[in-house]
Parts: sequence; C-alpha cells; structure tokens
Amino acid sequence: MMIKGTSLVMGDNVNTDVLHPSRFFSLESNKVRAGFLQAASGYEQIGNSDLSGKIILAGDNFGCGSSRETGARAFLLAGIRAVVARSMARIFSRNVRNLGLPAVECPALSDSPPDGSELEIDLGRWRLIIPATNQVLPLTRLDPFWEAVIKAGGLMPFLGFKDG
Amino acid sequence: MTQQTLTEKILLSKATEPILPGSEYYRVPVDLVLGHDATIALLVERFKKIGRKVWNPERCFFAADHFAPPSTPERADILNCYLGFVTEQSVPQDLLYRGISHQLMVEDQRCQPGMIICGADSHTVMAGALGCFATGMGSTDILALLLTGEVILSIPESIRIDLTGKLPSWLFGKDLALEIIRLIGEGGALDQALEYHDLTESGLPMESRFTISNMSVEAGATNGVFVPDQVLKRYLHERDGRAAKIASRIDGFDSVWLYPDEGANYTRRLSINVEEVPPLVALPGGLSQIVAVSEIEPVGVQQVFVGSCAGGRVEDLAITARLLKNRRVAPGVKLVITPASQRVYYECLQNGIFQVLAGAGALITNSSCGACGGIDKGLIGSGEVCVSTSNRNFRGRMGSPDGLIYLASPLTAAAAAVTGRLTDPRPLMEEAGIRDFHSTPWPKQASSLGGQR
Repeated sequence: MMIKGTSLVMGDNVNTDVLHPSRFFSLESNKVRAGFLQAASGYEQIGNSDLSGKIILAGDNFGCGSSRETGARAFLLAGIRAVVARSMARIFSRNVRNLGLPAVECPALSDSPPDGSELEIDLGRWRLIIPATNQVLPLTRLDPFWEAVIKAGGLMPFLGFKDG
Repeated sequence: MTQQTLTEKILLSKATEPILPGSEYYRVPVDLVLGHDATIALLVERFKKIGRKVWNPERCFFAADHFAPPSTPERADILNCYLGFVTEQSVPQDLLYRGISHQLMVEDQRCQPGMIICGADSHTVMAGALGCFATGMGSTDILALLLTGEVILSIPESIRIDLTGKLPSWLFGKDLALEIIRLIGEGGALDQALEYHDLTESGLPMESRFTISNMSVEAGATNGVFVPDQVLKRYLHERDGRAAKIASRIDGFDSVWLYPDEGANYTRRLSINVEEVPPLVALPGGLSQIVAVSEIEPVGVQQVFVGSCAGGRVEDLAITARLLKNRRVAPGVKLVITPASQRVYYECLQNGIFQVLAGAGALITNSSCGACGGIDKGLIGSGEVCVSTSNRNFRGRMGSPDGLIYLASPLTAAAAAVTGRLTDPRPLMEEAGIRDFHSTPWPKQASSLGGQR
C-alpha cells in the first residue's frame, strides 16, 4: 500500500488539548472539524485551511494526553491522509488507526523537510520516501493486527461490525 | 514459564492467544468498563446503528462527571444523549452525578485488585493503585468493548519504580508523580507499564498513590500499577466494610491478589528516596519542564484550583484548609475548590473542612471534573496564572490558550492561595505548626459515612 501526500510538520509532545481543544468537543461534525489545531500555537490558521491530502510529520510523543476521540476524528474530517511521527502516544495512535487512518512511527525522522514537501509512505516495504531531500527512511513495521485494522478501514469493520 | 511482572501476570492470566498469527496483540476479557457522559456520548449513534445490546450492563461503571451539571445547552444535549443510552441499555445509574469517574472507581466495591479495567478516559490508569490493570482508550475501542466484552491489547513491558525513605510532612503524591515524570520524561514510558513498589517506612497514603497512578499516563505509560500490600488491604477493609449494604448486588466482583515474580524482567529500574524530593512544580505548557518550586522566581498568581482526579481528595482539601485556618485567601486570588466526589464533599462538610475553606473565602463547587478539562467553574483568561493540583497543564487546557497553568501539590497550591505567589510552601507550613500531616490529615470527628453512597 502506497500513500502519497504533502507534509504538515509538527514538533515534539504535541498534545491532544492543542490538537483539539475541549471547547470544540461536540457531537456535530462541523464543530469537531472547526476545532482542529485551534490551540496549537502558530497552527490556528493552518487548522482552518483545506488540509486534504496532508500527511502529518511529527516528533516524539505525538498525541499525548486525553482519550477524547473528537481529536482523532478531526484529523479525518480535515482530510489528513496519514500520520508519521518519531513516536506516538498509545491512545492517540489507537484512536486514529481504529478510524482507519494510517499512523506509523519513523524513529529515524530527524530534520523534517519544509511544509508542503511531497511524501510517499510505502506500507509494503515500510519506508518513508522524501524526494525533496532524497531521503528514504525506515518505518517501524506495524503489528499484523494494526495492518489488518487499517486495511479493513478501522476496528469496527475489522471485527465484522457495520460502522457509520 | 518465565518470571512475570505484575502487569504481565494480570493480563496473561486472562489473555489466551494472539488475535492473528504473528501478532503481539491478544483478545483480553474486561472486568469493568469505565465510562462518562462526554466520551460515551461520542459512540451512542454508532452503537445504535449496530443495533445490539451492551454485553453485560452490570460491568459498566458509568458516571456523569464532565457536564455535571451542564453549563451550555449543547452540553445538556450531550448529557441527555448519554443518559438515554444508560437507560436504554439498563446500565446501573447509581454513579451518576456522584463525582469524577476515576475517584468513584477507587471508592467502589466493584473495583477489586487483580481486575482488568478499561475506560473511555485516559485517567482510567488511576485504578492501578488498587493492584489492577487499568488503562484508558478512545470511543471506538470502548464501542467494541461494550459489544464484545473484550479489548485487543499488547502486553506492555514494565519499568519498576521503588519508593523508599520516610515521607516528609510537606511531600505529597503529586510531588512524587512529578518527580517520576521528571526522571522518566514526558512520554518516556510510551507503551510501557509503570510498576510501583512502595518500600517507604509506613507506606504512602492511598490518596497519594491514586495521584501517582493517575499521572502515569502523563509519562506515556499504558498503566501504572502498585504492588498490593498492607496499606491496600487496610484501605479495602475499611472501604468494603462500609459499603456492605450493596454487597448482595455485586457477586462476581472478586479480588485476586497478584504479585510480580522475583526476577521478573524490567526495561528499567528506578529508585526514589522520598526524603530527597523537594516540592516540585511543572511549568506551563506540558510535563517536560519540572523543577523545584524553590528554584523559580516567585510568580504572581490569580487562580488556585484544588480539584480533579489528581488533586481533589480529602487529603488535598485538608491541607488547603489547614494552611488557610485563621487566614484569608490573598487579595486578587480566586481559590476554586472542586471535590473529586460526593463522598469527599460529604466528608469535608461533616468534618469542618468546608467551614474553614468557606470562611477563608474559597469558592466551593459541586464534585465534577470542573475547570480541569476546561469545562466550567473556574476557566482562566488570557494572561491569567493558575496554580492547579490537577494533572495537565497543556496550553489552553483550562481555558484561554494564553493562560498559564502550573501544576503543584495541594500544599504548594494552598500556599499560593495564602500568599498570592507561587513559592516554596515549607516555611508557611512550619509557621502554621503542621508537623505530622500524613498520619493525621484532619482531626477525626465522631461522624459515620455509612449509608452515604
């Protein structure tokens, strides 16, 4: 499976409260979408823009904090195609994968390329390709369970339940 | 079989085989599922479309704590959506409006050592203080759990933390939680378990242990479990004796006393002498900058928040009251007190803690999550400085993204309420003549809480 997109670069320890502040907690999709990145300093405008086809490139401990799944849903509603981080908080990575969004770790990720760089994620050979900087970085292979969940489009379809 | 950590022992006693060939994930049957009005409401529509019933309503430990009571019409609708689900699925309603779900869990006879507890909230880890495997998850995981009674988990490796020495009167569970995160790093325990061995002289009070287990997730840990001991036994004896009234209802909620094996494998071992830990503070913006309070320039404070599942227990309110006795909250400071549960509320009402706090000018709210998650009753504005006994100080967590949150112990927070500045609380404690706080947090009164569930 190949995923192509352009980068949106974020730092270390980016927590769920800045990714999606609690004042946007809602059952309404529009409001959940509107909250994306709204407490992340310097990202508020970006959060409101068209983000379809973006791949998040982040540092360590991405998504630490709350279990509120509105945060993970906002990634999907914003059109984010995948998340790549040096390391990811456990609840967050579960949440996004459970909704069918590929989230993978790339421990070798150091200097991220500029925002908007073309990226390719190769989930067959487990590598991240950054043409702009001529980099090919290894990705941590996902457990077969998570591979199957993402392939199925989320946890519920993996378990054989109709969802949505 | 090889030697096991406590987390391995609990999980592998119930998990059988990997979910897929070559996978490290197992189907794990769950003893209790914690839920509350906010995160369960997120799954109600999806649940209804699937058209099934909850696998076992008696195993649902559902509170109403986030929007309790609601502060906006939208939150009232979210709460009502949740309450409709609770009724429809015949889930027990005895916990609604009783306080913060995590606090209710450790107060409740349904929660017993050795259990596997999953909850729709990251601070579900707090029940690890009772020798449980307890972990938080998002709504989709909980949706699947409510349908099947199982979650799919990998078995985390463990970091062992030994706590030694004699607990000083001025040191609290919050200081120790911060010290552990300072040593491990924010996210330093990602996908691992923290296994706490309390080797201190008289054993840490359970209330301090709750705070330490609670904040395990701030280090990135999957769970944070205390090895069961005499302190836990005494706590359960007192707790379950009191709640005997409902004993007939809860057959099947049995304790299993499990311990790690000698020679179990740990990824890392740490030992902390509690006598060497000063009062600590987490600087605003995350848990990556933790320093001794005495090392920072005094900061002017506009709000002090004593509340949350990490800092709203009787111990926290008692030290606040003892420091404020015969004093007033400093001019320019609002002190917001949010008890973690109605039991805490009732006890403070009975034993005189509320009288002292109210007399000193504190604002006492009903038990709920309140300001901690930026919900209501004490949100901060732009430029405002808040010292909080809660567990998170992320940007915007308690209101304006331009407000500043310092996390500290209830003693440090109370001292800030007295002086209007964030400073080392020890001189003030000495001045107040408080010497042996942990053995007698508050003079006992001849009151019984029997029947106050």
